[in-house]
Order: sequence, then structure tokens, then C-alpha cells
Amino acid sequence: MKITVLMKDVPDLVEDLELEAGQLLVDDISFVVSEWDDQALEEALLIKDEAGADVTIVAVDTGDVDTMLYTALAKGADRAVKIVGDFTRRLTNRTRAAILAEYCKSESPDLILTGVQAIDDIDGQIAGLLAGYLDIPHASVVREVHTMDAQLHFIQEYSGGRMAEFTAASPVLLGIQAARKPPRYVTVAKVRQLQKSATLDEVQVVLPSTPGLTVRRLYKPEAAGHAEMWGDDADTVAEHIVRVLGEKKLLRS
Amino acid sequence: MLRIGLIVVTVALIVVSAALFLGRLLAIWAVMKTARPLNRTDRLGERIKSVVEHVVLHRRMFRITLSGTLHYFIFSGFVILLIDIVETVGEVFFPGFTVGRILAPLVDIWVILVAVGIVLALYNRIILKPKRFEGSDEKDAYLILGLIGAIIVGIVIHDSFFPFVAPQVFHVADPVARAHFLGFAVSRLWVALGWTGPTAASIGYALGYLIDIGVVFAFLAYLPYSKHFHIFLAVPNIFIRNLNPQGELVPEPIDETMAIRNFHDFNWKDIADLYTCTECGRCQAVCPAYAAGQPLSPKMVILKLRDALNERMAENTLDDPNTASLAGGVISPEELWACTTCGACQEACPVFIEHVPKIAGLRAALLEDGVIDPNAQKVLVSWDRQGNSFGQPARKRPAWAKNIDIAIKDARREPVDWLWFVGDFASWDPRVQRLTEQIAHLLERSGIDFGILYESEVNAGNEALRLGEYGLFEALAQKNIKALEAAQYRRIFTTDPHSLNALKNEYGKFGFHAEVRHYTEAFLEWIDEGRIAVKSVPIRATYHDPCYLGRWNGIVKAPRTLLQRLGVQLVEMPRHGAQSFCCGAGGGRIWMDETGMTDRPANQRIREALALGDVPFFVVACPKDVSMFSASVTAMGVENQIRVVDMADLLAGAVGLKTADEAILALASMATVSP
Repeated sequence: MKITVLMKDVPDLVEDLELEAGQLLVDDISFVVSEWDDQALEEALLIKDEAGADVTIVAVDTGDVDTMLYTALAKGADRAVKIVGDFTRRLTNRTRAAILAEYCKSESPDLILTGVQAIDDIDGQIAGLLAGYLDIPHASVVREVHTMDAQLHFIQEYSGGRMAEFTAASPVLLGIQAARKPPRYVTVAKVRQLQKSATLDEVQVVLPSTPGLTVRRLYKPEAAGHAEMWGDDADTVAEHIVRVLGEKKLLRS
Repeated sequence: MLRIGLIVVTVALIVVSAALFLGRLLAIWAVMKTARPLNRTDRLGERIKSVVEHVVLHRRMFRITLSGTLHYFIFSGFVILLIDIVETVGEVFFPGFTVGRILAPLVDIWVILVAVGIVLALYNRIILKPKRFEGSDEKDAYLILGLIGAIIVGIVIHDSFFPFVAPQVFHVADPVARAHFLGFAVSRLWVALGWTGPTAASIGYALGYLIDIGVVFAFLAYLPYSKHFHIFLAVPNIFIRNLNPQGELVPEPIDETMAIRNFHDFNWKDIADLYTCTECGRCQAVCPAYAAGQPLSPKMVILKLRDALNERMAENTLDDPNTASLAGGVISPEELWACTTCGACQEACPVFIEHVPKIAGLRAALLEDGVIDPNAQKVLVSWDRQGNSFGQPARKRPAWAKNIDIAIKDARREPVDWLWFVGDFASWDPRVQRLTEQIAHLLERSGIDFGILYESEVNAGNEALRLGEYGLFEALAQKNIKALEAAQYRRIFTTDPHSLNALKNEYGKFGFHAEVRHYTEAFLEWIDEGRIAVKSVPIRATYHDPCYLGRWNGIVKAPRTLLQRLGVQLVEMPRHGAQSFCCGAGGGRIWMDETGMTDRPANQRIREALALGDVPFFVVACPKDVSMFSASVTAMGVENQIRVVDMADLLAGAVGLKTADEAILALASMATVSP
């Protein structure tokens, strides 16, 4: 089983994002691995632990993705691929999907995993777009991926706690909601050791031309209202609760 | 005939027991040779001094009076036993040989003392039954006591028949006649019974001789297979004890890994530790994790490792990759992660076994395999990304300084006299920030020239290292060292004992050496220099020694002298100073799941303070203690009986800061200015 995990880094939202003249100050941002991609990597590694697999991590080089790739190798991935080309941090999802499609076509993996979404891809477009480019089946909001008799079994979640079990023949592309276990820890020393001993495979891809939109200006969110502090006197707080419940018509008279 | 028989038996005993003894010793030695290297033979003078202190004077042993006393009787008995062995074997091999009339009665005196020791030991084990023996091999203890009892009985028996054997069988005069007073007394019985002829006396003498010398050599052969190997290993193990700063977990920079998976990953002192353990359980009795009902006992860690080593030596599987990992296999993850690294076990151990470095190394192996508490994992990631355990942006570290109206110098940009290493909890925890602000007010008010590193400070790495994350510790240390080297300051002080320990004891291996003080030391110095005038705060209080201040760094006097200067009436808890009891937060425990804990260590500690009676203040000097003990007092609902106050609260009150706690301020204002 050849598994490819698509990973990217996203702004670390621990820090506030700064705007200047309606533009994001990208240089001031520190980037961290997208948490859903980290879940996808963990699920791939669990499949590898369970049934054996060759796990390749792929990232588009939009800046410093090396540490993220070495970390994935340290966790147990077999190969790390950095797609290099004339790319910036401002890649649209559609372009990113086209770049990844270019790479995946040449590799033809049995299973492609990626995070179901990212903070800069709330709709989870990448997975769908890429599946379209590759013309392979796709499911999102997926967990519990297992391989059985050359078939893939997985669960897709729906709203309201409903879920469905699927069986699919490879190749297939899945957007992972969560891995079966929390992503494993990897020590700083192990990452550093791999930075010395391992190499990242660089694959050149020409920037494809895709239709897209341009952001003219970004705005900071405007506060619609503020929290009302009720103090710590139990009676006052109780009165307020009763009042609010009454206002919302949640109390039976 | 009798002599020849005894000589033959004695030679056979010596050969067989020496072979068994040496064979075992060499097998253990072979394991030690494959273990990691460590220099423990330097500083000869200090080492001899510590042997005198802890072997001859039994310093740690006497912390438990009964056990110390009975052990001293039996231990000294083994020294005196040498006189008996030389005399007894001598008189058989060379008729007429004697140790003289002065040494001979010493044997009898010690026979009585050892007998008293045995009785006390039995009283201790059968009647008192201290909990610390739980899990120890008690059968072995009784067997050994039985053997020792046999030896002293044998001594008296052969001494009692010797007055008859000497002239009639050995054809020499008894050179120490009546000097062995116990033997002489018993010999009167033989006279009464008429057992004084050559045959009866020979049988009696041979019996006594075999019980004494026979058991001695049987003992010798058995020792290295039993916990009583400490008779031979205790002295060398105390000799090779750690003389470096106690708070230094890792003496040298590590290239590869600190992880311990098999016995070759231990250092040779670790192997010696395993065989030196006497199963006395003093470590278990002081362990906060054990007291909290966690699965960890430092004693059992040592015993399980020793048993595993014995098994692997016997089965020749030391290099077998299929044997269970020591981390997670022989010692469970739950045991390893329960440790607070408080070091009470090491401080209590009479033979200087080092539990904490073993646990940290075993943790490192778990961590490499990704086995760690999810919350602690988050903290490790936060340290790596943001440099603090709170997962907050690095640039917000000095945010507390904006709450106060003081321009704090940036030590990166201008020279300062004192560099204040603030630490994570003091910077971010809302309960502790208040104290951090007090300290800043105090410093400004006293005209102390100080500064901070602002966002260039990162977590000191003390806990990362103790969680087994050496690489992360090193990365954090290097960041701090880079910032410290670029800053201009004369001395460092810190409000956090954990940071203090890292800066003082763990950064040296990277070439960083600076004078680092705890704030209690610094404030004491400023008060004594007359730079700070303090009023008396006349309260009755007890003081909790933080593990990383009192035990690991020996700073127990300065906080007490400071309390004295502040006019505080100090009432000590039973466990104080180096014997303090951990709050339960150390070694990364503060971030871990407490499921399965039956009695939190911090609650136990508060109960210990409450038991003093009428001591309304619980003084702490560590940010983590503020969090832990305040939470306990609230959870236990004893706010009206005891209040947790930091040393900074007392100082603020004593100086009369407007921002000080009103109750303390009121107490201080009534008092007069102290000289």
C-alpha cells in the first residue's frame, strides 16, 4: 500500500494576525503544521503500524516547510517530498490542488490522505479539487481508515452524530477529520538527527495557471458586542440568569 | 584428628564460598563494564569524608532512631566478627594463636549488642511493621537475621568448649581463659553436666565452630545473591556517590540520547545501585507519588530493575532485543510518569542510590516511543513553539509588566546590576502575576538596579529535561544562554526554584556560569545591606521548602533567616529543609492527569501544616507552590484556618507597599521598624 499524505503549514493563531493597508503581514507570522494534516499523518502512520504501508509526505514549498517534513520523517514516514517551483505563501487552494495533482499523477499512490480542512481552507476544497484533477473517488470528514483485502474501509461523519461505513477500492482520496489516536510526540533530538541524516526529495513542478480571485483588502473583525460581567455575588448572578432566560422566552410562567 | 577435620572443612568452605562469591561479583562487574561511563573516582578526600560520615557515623541511618541504632549494633558486629574469625580459624590452624586478652572480650560484648540488635530488628519487623517494608523481601530479612543469630550462638558455643579443648586436644594452654566471658559463663554449665572430657568437648567445640565459621562462609556465598549484598557494596556505593551539585541531572552534554531501554543504557553506578539496595523502603516512605496512591514506589523501581537484571544474567539475554524494554516493560509508564522528581527518595537513601536520573532516562525512552500524557505533550509542543508552558505568544511574556507603573529596564539594551529571570509561572499564571508585580514594586522602591530579558527569555528547561526531553531542554537552554550572553548584568536572581536549578546546575555543561540567586537570598542580602527597611510582620507561620530550592540546591537557611528578619514566628512542620514533602507539581506532574490519585500530596502537606495547630499562615517561595497549595486550601475548604502566602506578600507588607495584601499590611503597620 502506497500512502501519500498531503501536508502544509498554516499561520500559528497563538499570535494575533496583523494587517497593514488591508494586507496580511505574512513575514511576521510564524507557521505551524496544519492540525488536520497532522491528524492525517497520524492515521497514515497507524495504518502503516497495523498493516504495513509505504508512507510519503508531500508539501508544496511555499516557505520553510523543511522542519515539518523532517518531523514527519522522525515520526515514521518513509519519504518526504518537497514540491519546488515558483510558489509563494499566497497560493490559492485551486492552484495548490493543481500543483499537487501534477505530482500525484506521476506517483499514483493507492491512498491519498490530507486534513479535512485547514484554517486557510475552511471548506476543505483541496481534497475535493485534487480528487477531481486526478479523477479518483473522494470522501471528506473521514476517520478510522483500515485496509482489508486490498480494500479500504473507513467511516464518514455527518451532522447530528450520524455516520456511514464505506468500503472502497484504491486509489481513493480522503479528507481526515481525526486520527484514531492523538498525533504522536516526536523528540526534538530525533527531528534534529533526521535533519542531519535524511534528505528531502525535491520535485520540480511548473506553476500551473488556474482561474482564481484576488483579495483586494482584508478587514479586522468588528466586535458585535461585549461580554457582560455579572460579578461574583450569587444572588445577583442568579437574578441575571433568570432575567436572560426570561428574555429568551425559555422560562415557563 | 579434630584439628585436621576442622582445617579440611574450613579450607573447603573458603574455596567454595570464595568461588561462588567471586563468580557472582565478576558477572556483575561484566555488566558494569558494558554500561555507560561516568567519573566517580575523583575528589578522593571528599569521598573518604563522605564514607566516614555515612558509614562510620551512620548519618542518614540515624534519621530513624530505632532502625539506626539496631543497624549500628549489627553493622559494628560485622566489624568485630573479623576478630572472631581470625581468632577462631587461627586457634585451629596454629594452636596457641591468640588475638590477645583485650580484643577477645570485645567479641563477647558485641555478641550481646548484636543480639540486642536482632531483638530490636524483630520487634521492628513483627510488632511495629513500618509501611516502608511493604514490597520488600521479608523472608530474606528473616533468613539473614537467623544466620546472624546462628553466628553469635556459634561463637559462644565454641568459646565455651575451648577451655576444655585447648589443653586436652590442642595441647596448649587457653591463652584467653575467661576473657571470653560469655563462653566462660556457659562453660560452667558443661562442668555441671560433666561434658568436659576430650570427646564431649571436641564435639561441642566442632559444633560451635561449624555454626560460627560454617555460617560465615555460607553467608559469604549467599550474600551476592541476596539483598544483603549491601554489606559489601554499601561502602563503595557511598564512595562513588554523586558529589556534583545535587540538582544537576545530566553531568555532560548528551550527543545521542539519554533514553534507557536496556541495562547497557545505564551507567555503571546505576548497576551498582541495584545491588546495593537493602529494601529498607525509606525512599518509599518519603515518596509523594506513593503517598498519593500512585503506582510508583522508588524502592520497587530499583527492585524490579534488579530482578530483571538477575533474570537476564541467568538466562544470558542481556543483549537479546526480544526482552521487554526497561521503560514501559519492566517499569510501567504509569510508574514512570508518576514521579515528581522531588528527590526525597535520594535524600533518604542511606546508601546513596540515585533514583531520579534512572526514572528520567526511562522516561526519555517512553517519550521517544511517543508514550506521554497528552497534556504534558501539549506543554512540550508549547515550549518548542512558543518557549513557554502556557502556549502563549512569546512576545506576551513581559505583558505583566504593563500592569504596573514601573519602567523595567531591558537588560538586552542597557546594563543592569541584577538580571531577573522571571520564569513561566511568574510571567503567565494569573495567581502568580500579582506576586511578580509585587516583586517589581519592591525592587523599584528599594532602588535595586534590575532588568529582565523581556521576550528573549524562554522556559529554563528544567522540567523538559526531567520529562526526558533532552533535545528540547538543550534548545531552550541555548536560547536563554544566547540572550543572557548578549545582556549586561552582574548577577542573576530568579523567583522560580525550577529556573534557578536549571540556570545554576544544568547550564554549566554548555559553558554558562553565572552567579544565580533565589529571591529569598537576594532580598535577605538587600535587607542586611540596609537597602531595604522592613517592618516586622508578627505572624505565626510555617514555611514549605520547595524541592528545587531546599533539597536540590540546599537553600534552606536564607528563607528562614529572611522570615526572622521579617519578625515572623516560624513553626516548622515535621518534614522540613532537605526532608521537605513535595507539593506534587515537579517533574512535569503539574500538567499531567491526576486520575487514580487517592490523596493529593499538596493536600497532605496542608494537613501537615494544620496539624501544627494555630498556625494561620503557610509561607511559600515558589510560583508552582502558590498555585498548588492555594488550590488545595480551597478544595479542602480550610480557608478560614490557613492562608497560603508567598514570601513576596510578606515582603510587600513589611515594606509597607500600597499594593500589599491588606491583612498583612495591617499586621505590619502595628509593628515598629526593625533595626
